[in-house]
Amino acid sequence: MSAVASHADVLHHDDHGHHKETFISKYVFSMDHKMISKQFLITGIIMGTIGMLMSLVFRLQLAYPNTTFPIFETLLGEWGKGGKLDPNFYLALITIHGTIMVFFVLTAGLSGTFSNLLIPLQVGARDMASPFLNMLSYWFFFTSSCVMIASLFVQGGPASAGWTIYPPLSALPKAIPGSGTGMTLWLVSMILFIVSSLLGGINYVATVLNMRTKGMKMTRLPLTIWAFTFTAILGILSFPVLFGGSLLLVFDRSFGTSFYLNEIPADLAGGIERVGGSPILFQHLFWFLGHPEVYIILLPALGITSEVIATNSRKPIFGYRAMIGSIMAIALLSFVVWGHHMFITGMNPFLGSVFMLGTLIIAVPSAIKTFNYLGTLWKGNLRLNPQMMFAIGLVSFFISGGLTGIFLGNAALDINLHDTYFVVAHFHLVMGSAAIFGMLCGIYHWYPKMFGRTMNESLGQIHFWMTIVSAYCVFFPMHFMGLAGVPRRYYAFTAYDQFNVFVDMNIFITYAAFLGGIAQFIFLFNFFYSMRKGKKAVQNPWESNTLEWTTPVKHLHGNWPGEIPHVYRWPYDYSVPGHEIDFIPQNTPHEGQEDPLTEPQTIPTPERKVVPTLAKEEAVLFTLVKRWLGFA
Amino acid sequence: MKYLKIKTSFVFVLAIFLLTSLSVFAQDMNEDSVAAAKSTASNINWLIVGIAFLLVFIIGMIFDILSKVGDVQKKPVINWGKINGILSIIFIVVGLAACVWEFIVHGKLTFFNLPAASAHANEYDDMFMITLWLTGVVFVVTQILLFWYTYKYREAKGRKALFYPDNHTFEIWATIIPGIVLTVLVVRGLFVWNDMTSSRDKNALNIEVFGYQFAWNARYAGADNKLGKYDFRQMGVVNALGVDSLKENAGDDIITSELHVPVNQPIYLHFRAKDVIHSAYLPHFRVQMNVVPGLPTNFHFTPILTTNEMRAKQDDPKFDYILLCNKICGSAHYRMKMKVIVDSKEEFEKWLKTNPALTAKGTETNNSFSFFSKTSPLAFN
Repeated sequence: MSAVASHADVLHHDDHGHHKETFISKYVFSMDHKMISKQFLITGIIMGTIGMLMSLVFRLQLAYPNTTFPIFETLLGEWGKGGKLDPNFYLALITIHGTIMVFFVLTAGLSGTFSNLLIPLQVGARDMASPFLNMLSYWFFFTSSCVMIASLFVQGGPASAGWTIYPPLSALPKAIPGSGTGMTLWLVSMILFIVSSLLGGINYVATVLNMRTKGMKMTRLPLTIWAFTFTAILGILSFPVLFGGSLLLVFDRSFGTSFYLNEIPADLAGGIERVGGSPILFQHLFWFLGHPEVYIILLPALGITSEVIATNSRKPIFGYRAMIGSIMAIALLSFVVWGHHMFITGMNPFLGSVFMLGTLIIAVPSAIKTFNYLGTLWKGNLRLNPQMMFAIGLVSFFISGGLTGIFLGNAALDINLHDTYFVVAHFHLVMGSAAIFGMLCGIYHWYPKMFGRTMNESLGQIHFWMTIVSAYCVFFPMHFMGLAGVPRRYYAFTAYDQFNVFVDMNIFITYAAFLGGIAQFIFLFNFFYSMRKGKKAVQNPWESNTLEWTTPVKHLHGNWPGEIPHVYRWPYDYSVPGHEIDFIPQNTPHEGQEDPLTEPQTIPTPERKVVPTLAKEEAVLFTLVKRWLGFA
Repeated sequence: MKYLKIKTSFVFVLAIFLLTSLSVFAQDMNEDSVAAAKSTASNINWLIVGIAFLLVFIIGMIFDILSKVGDVQKKPVINWGKINGILSIIFIVVGLAACVWEFIVHGKLTFFNLPAASAHANEYDDMFMITLWLTGVVFVVTQILLFWYTYKYREAKGRKALFYPDNHTFEIWATIIPGIVLTVLVVRGLFVWNDMTSSRDKNALNIEVFGYQFAWNARYAGADNKLGKYDFRQMGVVNALGVDSLKENAGDDIITSELHVPVNQPIYLHFRAKDVIHSAYLPHFRVQMNVVPGLPTNFHFTPILTTNEMRAKQDDPKFDYILLCNKICGSAHYRMKMKVIVDSKEEFEKWLKTNPALTAKGTETNNSFSFFSKTSPLAFN
C-alpha cells in the first residue's frame, strides 16, 4: 500500500512542471479523475433533463387523455399528430424515460460522478488505478448516450417495450413499431453502456483496494467509499449477465435464433418459425442484473448521505460498523432476490417462496441503516443547508418507498399488486426519488470541490422544498390507484369506467409533476450560474474530516501539491469531547501518535466485549488474515 | 481559464443538440405537416414556456443578490436553519394529515375495501391489512422522528453535538426486532402464497384464456372438461386459437369472447398467448398470471359473488368484473380487456349452450349432456 503510494509520488514529481496540457487533453479526453467526474455529471444532468421532460409529456397525456395539445405536434411531429400523442410513442416515452433515468442518470450520472471524484480524493490517491480506462469508461458512456438519443429519431421510433424490454415484444419488429431499428439501437447503446460500467467498476475496486494512502485502513474509509466499492462489485458481477442476455436478444432479433422465443408462428417472426426458447429466460437474465442494479443506484446515494449527514450533524455516523455490515448484507442479498420481479410469470411456487424469503430479509439491513441515520441526527447540531435537507429527504423517501417493498416482496400480495401503479409509486420513491436526492445532495456538497465555488443556498433550499413536496404529491396518491387495480403503462384509462374516479387524481399528479419540473429548472439555473458567478469556495467549506478537503481549491493533476497526507484516524471525529473545534480531519495525528498504522482507540465503544486471548499460532494466522483484508 | 470549464459543458450540450437537430423529426415529417404543425401550434404555449424560464431566471437573480448582500453584511439575509426547522414540522404535520385524508377519500376505492369476489380474497386481504398496519406504524413513527429531530436539533449557537458513535445493544435490538416482525410476515405470507398457488381441486372447471394483440378469448372444455390440443402453426385468421378440432377432446370445445364462470365453482384457468407476453389481471378476484407464448401458465380460484350480487353490494347497476392485460404488449395494450361475468350455475349452463362448439358433433354432446347434471362426473354439491 505504502509502496504504491510512494511510487505514485515519484511518478508525480517526474511529471510535474514540464507537462503542458492542451485543451483536448485537459477538457475532452482527460485522464484526470476530477475532470472525468465532471464530464459524467454534466452528461448525466443533460440526460436527466431529457428524461424529466419526457415524463412531463406523458403526464400531460395521462391527465388529459381527451384533450389535444398543439405543442405535441410542434415538438413531436408525426408522433403527436393533431396534438394527440400516439399510443406507440407513449410507450416509447415511458421506455426511454425509464432507461435514461435508471442507467444514464442514476447509474452513470450518480456512481460515475461521485466514484470518480471521491474515490481517489477520499482514499488519498493521485488518480485512479488506470486513468486511461477511466477515460475510456466515460467515452463509452458518452457514445452510449448519443446512440440512445439517436434512437429517438429513427423510423418506427425508439424502443418501446418498456425499460425491461421483455421479448417477444422486443424481439418481434411486427409486434410494435419500436421493436425495429429503435430496439437495435437500444441494445447497442446498452452494450456500450455495460462496457463503460465495467471499465469504471474494475477501476474503482482496484483503486480502493490498492491505492489507499498510508494509514488509510479499510476501517478508516468513509462510508461513501464503502458504498462505492460495493456498488462497483455489484456492477462487475451483474452487468456481464445483461451483456450476455442482450447479445442473445440481438441474435434472436437479427439472426433468426430462438433463445427467447417459443411457438411463434412464422408470419410474426420474419418468416422463420421460432420454437424451443423461453421468454422467461430473458427475464431471469435481465433481473439478475436488474435487481442488483437497484442497489447499484441506491448504495452510492446512501453512502453520500451517510457522509453528508455525519458532517452536517457535527456528529460521528452512528454505528459505523453496522453501516458497513448492512451495505455488505444488502449487496450480498441483492443477488438472490431477482425472482421477486417474476412472481407471476408462472414460476414454481416453491421458487417463489425462496425469493420471497430473501427479499423480505433485505428489509433488516435497510431498517438498520434507517435507525442509524436517525441515531446520527439524534442530539446532533444540524446544519440544515441544502445538502443536509436533501439527505434528510432521502431518508424520508427510503422509509416510505422501502416499506411498500414489504408488500411487493410478499409473493402472495404481489399477485394483485404486480405491474400496478403501486409498483410505480414504490420504485419511484425508493429508487427514483431517493437516489436522485442522494445525487443532488452530493452535488450540493461537493460542488465546491468540483468547481471551486458554492451554489446559492437559498435557491438550493427552494429547490429542495419544491422537489420533496412535488415528489410526494406525485407518488403518494399512486399507491391508492395501484390498490384499486389500475395497471401501469396504460396510455389512457378511458376504456374503463371503474378507473374514471381517478381522473382528478391524475390531473393533480400532473400539476405536482410540473411543480417538480420547475424546481429542477431552478436547480439547473443555480448549477450553471454558480459555476461562473457563485461565491468562491474556501478549502474546507463544510468543516469536514475527509481527505478531499485537504486538497487545494484549484484543481491540479495529482490532487495534492506535496506529499499525500497520512491518515491517523477514522473520518467521523466530529464533536469529540475535549476538543474545542468540532471536527478533526483524518490527517491529524492523535496525541503522541507517530505511525499512522498503530491503532489508537478511534472508535470508543461503550460496551465493547474483551476479545478472548488466542493461542499464539492462531493469533498469528488471525492477524495475517486481518492484515490481508486490510483491517489491521 | 475559468470560462473554459463552461466550455466543456457547452461542448456536451452542443454535441447533443447538434445530433438532435441533424436528424430531428426526420422520420415522416414532410413539408405539409411542418406547415400544419406551425399553424396549429398555439403561440400561448410558447409564451408560457418563455415566461416560466424568465421567472426561474428572475428568482435566481434575486436570491443571488440576496446572498451577495449577506456576504457584505457577514450575516446571511435568510436564516434557513430556522426556516427549515419550522418547515419540517409543517411538512410532517400537513403530510400525515394528507395521508389520513387520502386513506379516507381514496382508501374507499381500493380493493381491500371492496367486497371480496373470490374464495382466497379474504385471506389475501387479511395479509394485506396486517402488513399495512405493521408498516404503517413504522412509517408514522420514523417519519415523525426524522422531521422532529430536524426541527429540534437544528444548529444553535454554543451547543455541541453529542459524541455518540456506537451502541451495540441498540444495534442488536435494531436487528432483532425487524427480524422478528419480518419472520411473522414471511411465515404468514408463505401460507397465503401456498394456498393461492398450490390448491388444486380435481373437479375444477378447465377454461383456457387466450391472449393476443389486442384481445382475449376464452375456451371452455365442453362436456368432457378436457381442453383439446392446439398447434401454434394453425393459428391464423380462421382458427385464431390454433385448436385442432379433429384431435381428441377438441370437438366439444367452445370459444367465446366473454369469460363467464359459475359462482362457487373452482375454476382452473389455463393461459396461452399467441404473440407476445400478456398478463391476465382480474383485480376483483385477486388473480393475476402472465400469459406467455410457448409457456403454459395457470391459476386456480373460486368466485364467490355473482355479478348481480356484486352490483347490489356496490350499488352500481353497471358494474362488471374485468380481465385486463397488465403486461406491456403494444399500441392498444391499454384497451385489451375482456368482460368477466360470474353467473349462477343455471345461468352459466344456459349461456354456455348458446355458444356453438367447434364441431357440430361437439355441439351435440354439449347439448345432450348437462354440464351440472347429477350424472356428470363434474357434479358438485
